[in-house]
Amino acid sequence: MRVFGAVFERAVTACQSSALLCARLFSTGACARIRMHAIPKLKDVDRWTEKRSMLGVYDNIGILGGFKAHPKELIRGPLWLRGFRGNELQRLIRKKRMVGDRMMGEDKHILDKRISFLYRRFNRYGKHR
Amino acid sequence: MFRATLAICGRTVVKRFISSVSGENALPSNLRLPSNLIGVGRQKRASPSGSDLPVLHRCEDVIPAHLAPAQTWLESLGSCDGEPLGVVDLHPDVFSVPVRLDILHDVEVWQRNFKRISHAKVKSRAEVSGGGRKPWKQKGSGRARHGSIRSPLWRGGGVAHGPRGPTSYYYMLPMKVRVQGLKIALTAKLAQDYLHIVDSLEIPTPDPHYLLELVKHRQWGDSVLIVDVGDEFPQNILKATEDLKTVNIIPAIGLNVHSMLKHESLVLTLEAVKFLEKKLLWHDVRYTPLYPFKLPYRDMP
Repeated sequence: MRVFGAVFERAVTACQSSALLCARLFSTGACARIRMHAIPKLKDVDRWTEKRSMLGVYDNIGILGGFKAHPKELIRGPLWLRGFRGNELQRLIRKKRMVGDRMMGEDKHILDKRISFLYRRFNRYGKHR
Repeated sequence: MFRATLAICGRTVVKRFISSVSGENALPSNLRLPSNLIGVGRQKRASPSGSDLPVLHRCEDVIPAHLAPAQTWLESLGSCDGEPLGVVDLHPDVFSVPVRLDILHDVEVWQRNFKRISHAKVKSRAEVSGGGRKPWKQKGSGRARHGSIRSPLWRGGGVAHGPRGPTSYYYMLPMKVRVQGLKIALTAKLAQDYLHIVDSLEIPTPDPHYLLELVKHRQWGDSVLIVDVGDEFPQNILKATEDLKTVNIIPAIGLNVHSMLKHESLVLTLEAVKFLEKKLLWHDVRYTPLYPFKLPYRDMP
């Protein structure tokens, strides 16, 4: 019995060590069939490109630069959205005021239609009017 | 079989017993570094409080009586393995503030989002071409009733509640919160031994390898952010950092929390320290603005 116990111990430790060396899961095929033949590779992202390493520089230009400039002047984007935040209707109205006379034909027509649709939706129907 | 399991359990119990008896000097297994690790771990530098080197710079601003200035070494970039030149006093209200991680998080998130403009836009049913006509009559055809072929129900139709147009995520945190975020980031860098003060940015060669060797020898970390005041920098350091990705140089006006968190180590010149102290301490004693600060005030330069 003792001999059997010792053999069993050695077998268990051998199994444990070999399981650590090659941890391969095996099943009899009765569970969910997830086939992992082609595990996609992780995409290589360079965390130190010029853009990524210089992100955020000059964000404190107001407090450190004597308030001659404001961080909202750093934002690059459409003219009517620099340093402005609003819901869709507010953005469209601002766009119409700032850029509307430059807009032509179809875009202008769609903008006007959307403004009138949103105005009616926000101010006439629903719980919040 | 029971004797086998008892033997195995007994082995783990004995291991725990030994580790508890040996005392608290043995590190727990998750903190122990394996012996085959490549790259040496950082050694803690000696604190400058007990050294003989002279204090080369005292704070220009008044320090409150109940606080003591923080001290750190003043180094030089002239030679790779140079000794520190002296000790520098740093104002405690800038470099030893209580570290509020939530303010740091808020400032970092603000920096990421306030500049964001998302250009995602999809056409609604009114914008998709076509779809003005009723496809078939209301009753009698046997098919479901529809008013246009571009309604959101149809394939090729408009999206009902999609992203609409360039959206901006702009908002501003209060000025004092942003200032406090800078102070906390500087405090954290100093406390974690990642802050280095340098007298000037003169280096002997414009070779990027010199800088990399210096950084590696002094164990400054993987990435270094060098900050100096003024428009002109020495040509050598500009040339050296031009092609390096992880060693970057910025003027003091460009200092911000995101860059400080991205780069592992921060190198400030003495001029930059004076500039930052002056700018950041003013917000503790200023009056609330009656009109924006960019308009002239009588007592501000």
